[in-house]
Amino acid sequence: MLSQRSAGRTRRHYLGYLALAFIIAPTVLAFAALTGFARQGPDWALLGDPYLLGVLGFSLKQAALSALLSVLLALPVARALYYVPQLWGQRLFLSFCLLCFVLPTLVLITGLVALLGRSGWLTPLLGEDWNLYGLHGILLAHVFLNMPFAVRALLQQLHSIPDTSWRLAAQLKLSGWQRWRYVEWPVLQGHLPLLSGFIFVLCFNSFAVVLALGGGPQATTLEVAIYQALKYDFNIGEALLLAWVQFAIAGGLFLLMVRLGAVQWLSIDTASGYYRPRPMGWRRAVHGLVYGLSVLLLALPLLALLPGLFKLEASIWQRMQLLAPLLTTLTLGLACAVLGLVFAYCLLLPLRYARWQQQLRRQWLLEWLATHALVAPAMVLSVGLYILVLLTLPGKADELSWSVSLVLLLNVVVIIPFALQQVRPRLLQFDDQYERLCGVLKLSLWQRLRVEWPWWRHSAISAFCLLLVLAMGDVTVFSIFGTQDWMTLPWLIYSYAGTYRMAEASLTAVVLLLLCALIVFLFERGRRA
Amino acid sequence: MKTFTHPLISTLLSLCAVTLLGVAQATEAELTVHTYDSFVSEWGPGPKLEQAFEQQCNCDLKFVAAEDGVSILNRLRIEGENSKADVILGIDDALLEEARATGFIAEHGVDTAAVKADLAWQDKHFVPFDFGYFAFIYDSSKIAQPPTSLKALVESEAKVIYQDPRTSTPGQGLMLWMKSVYGDEAATAWQQLAQHTVTVTKGWWEAYSMFLEGGSDYVLSYTTSPAYHIIAEEKTQYKAAAFTEGHVAQVEVAARLKSSQQPELAQQFLQFLLSTEAQKILPVTNWMLPVVDVELPDTFATLVQPKRIGFTPQEVAAQRRDWIKEWRAAATK
Repeated sequence: MLSQRSAGRTRRHYLGYLALAFIIAPTVLAFAALTGFARQGPDWALLGDPYLLGVLGFSLKQAALSALLSVLLALPVARALYYVPQLWGQRLFLSFCLLCFVLPTLVLITGLVALLGRSGWLTPLLGEDWNLYGLHGILLAHVFLNMPFAVRALLQQLHSIPDTSWRLAAQLKLSGWQRWRYVEWPVLQGHLPLLSGFIFVLCFNSFAVVLALGGGPQATTLEVAIYQALKYDFNIGEALLLAWVQFAIAGGLFLLMVRLGAVQWLSIDTASGYYRPRPMGWRRAVHGLVYGLSVLLLALPLLALLPGLFKLEASIWQRMQLLAPLLTTLTLGLACAVLGLVFAYCLLLPLRYARWQQQLRRQWLLEWLATHALVAPAMVLSVGLYILVLLTLPGKADELSWSVSLVLLLNVVVIIPFALQQVRPRLLQFDDQYERLCGVLKLSLWQRLRVEWPWWRHSAISAFCLLLVLAMGDVTVFSIFGTQDWMTLPWLIYSYAGTYRMAEASLTAVVLLLLCALIVFLFERGRRA
Repeated sequence: MKTFTHPLISTLLSLCAVTLLGVAQATEAELTVHTYDSFVSEWGPGPKLEQAFEQQCNCDLKFVAAEDGVSILNRLRIEGENSKADVILGIDDALLEEARATGFIAEHGVDTAAVKADLAWQDKHFVPFDFGYFAFIYDSSKIAQPPTSLKALVESEAKVIYQDPRTSTPGQGLMLWMKSVYGDEAATAWQQLAQHTVTVTKGWWEAYSMFLEGGSDYVLSYTTSPAYHIIAEEKTQYKAAAFTEGHVAQVEVAARLKSSQQPELAQQFLQFLLSTEAQKILPVTNWMLPVVDVELPDTFATLVQPKRIGFTPQEVAAQRRDWIKEWRAAATK
């Protein structure tokens, strides 16, 4: 009996470890291919090069500032949403926050340039010396992408304040400051370093934004420097060194965060919170003002895209063939999302078991390995695998089937961390409540799936939509593995813009934006249903 | 773009064509050409050249696109003798020595006598197929008096966008331009330029689209850019500024590989690139100048006709890294 039970568990484990091997393989192969091809390891001598130290310094500085600003600005907005839930359009705003986080960077950059570029709408108000490019631009884009994310995460935390605390606060007649200090701060405090850390890692690895808005060599991050070393100088030693430095810093920080716990920002509402202070008078007005301002500021870069559309002639629709790339993008996104979800489930099997057995170290290790793609330099991954394919399978890289499979595979690897983050909390909750029972009933994997499904269905659906949007926005992987035989929407934007066809490029950007918005909207409905 | 066929019909037609070709392919030789992606896009020269060449070669011409010229070279370095390519097309004269150094390039065996005398083409490995002069483009409806020399532009306060010399061939062109004009004083000049540079972009299109949206007064591009606006958009306000010091040119080249299974066909293709037919297609699709004398749309006569300055490919290959370091250090300050 006992052996039968452990056999089922072992089979489940195999599945999990198989998935894990599948996720780690691309990274290992990529590094191995680069090292093997160049017949040299990282060029350690570069560690003393002042230019590279400058690059490292700038990467850290912009990531720290981005994280700090995002969190500091998100705090008042989250509080406004918490205290005045009747604020107009609040639900829509929260959906919009999610859209901001997953927005294809190409769309955001176009919007920011239309708004704040040299002849942007707002530029005349900013004085003579204003220049979007450089640290300003990078921070603006990073705050736009991450502040809304922080709002959602902080709001989630505030919602977890128990009613009893508020009752007590009311009885003790705590002042505004005391309420912040003794009621809000304790729930936020543990969460803030985690949240800032997560945003820090995302910004530290930022690529497209820095490339587009950095404005030259004075604003280069490690990821961009890797790109330059690999792609143009073909200096693999330098690229490997930079990749290891980035991997070590981001990975170390991430490991630390895994130990601290996960950022929860999309998990199911646990709050009952019907009893909370209802600010009146000027306090309420301040909350309303903060909310209104944030809506305005976040909407502006996207609204700035619209006037460009009115300049287009009606005939443009006939000239452009959008349908095929649109369907390709959707199909690719759907395939990535399905695979990402399946992988996330499999990866969680051994991890959940380790947690159940209270093998903490193993749990952290598994968690880190499963999410390592978040910190592995995407450029190194893509280029390394590309070299591997060219060396070992001559000619295959140009074949449509290989190109599609590789784009799909790498996108799945890249989005898995987000899938895990989505479905993990709910499945862990399941374990806490039913694992013992499942163990006693000796459910097979299939039976288990059927029992679990209703429990995590909502998080699965929402994870699915999130993965879909993330995969649909990919350009990094496609830029390496795509061929001219097929086309995705983001890549179409590049190609149009690359050949003087700006009107077509902006129209495609808007189509992509609308598609993403639609999916995010469905996602939010799926979550609430 | 001229055809407005229903997508379904065109799909069916192309399916039929593919089936027919499949039958025909059994007897036809295949020629694989590695090039960059804008070359083969539907509005680039690729499709037209393919059609013209296939009519005379009894072969199947297949383009495989990389992101840009540097990627073509990097791919050759990785694949080496296993490369499936017969011809590489689209690296420029500044990369030529590095490509030659790989040892995978065969001599072209093509008669290049027809190539314009200004280009003084003697290379035995590489065949030029088009060229262009780098130039700063401005909007003449906003700027009446453009600077007449590179020095005047550098010393002015006009807003400028250019491309990163590490990642973009026009950017590299500007680097060569600055070195030819300023020599050892280039570092100071870069710093001076940095004072009024709006941004340095990764690639040509980011820079050019920002400029078109009003992002700067001048953008680094080619003397031929105004021709695009005149011919394709009927807009005449965009002009290239002519500089008295002369302009640096970029010559795009093609070559065949030693590993090619189709050496004669590859040679025939290289020769075709110099034909009047191909040379007439390139200027109005790739927006560069032809390398042999052919009749062009009148618009091309209105373009700036600069004096050529610059360095030989050997000089560039020897000093590129140092010059990039110089730029990197100067522009960071």
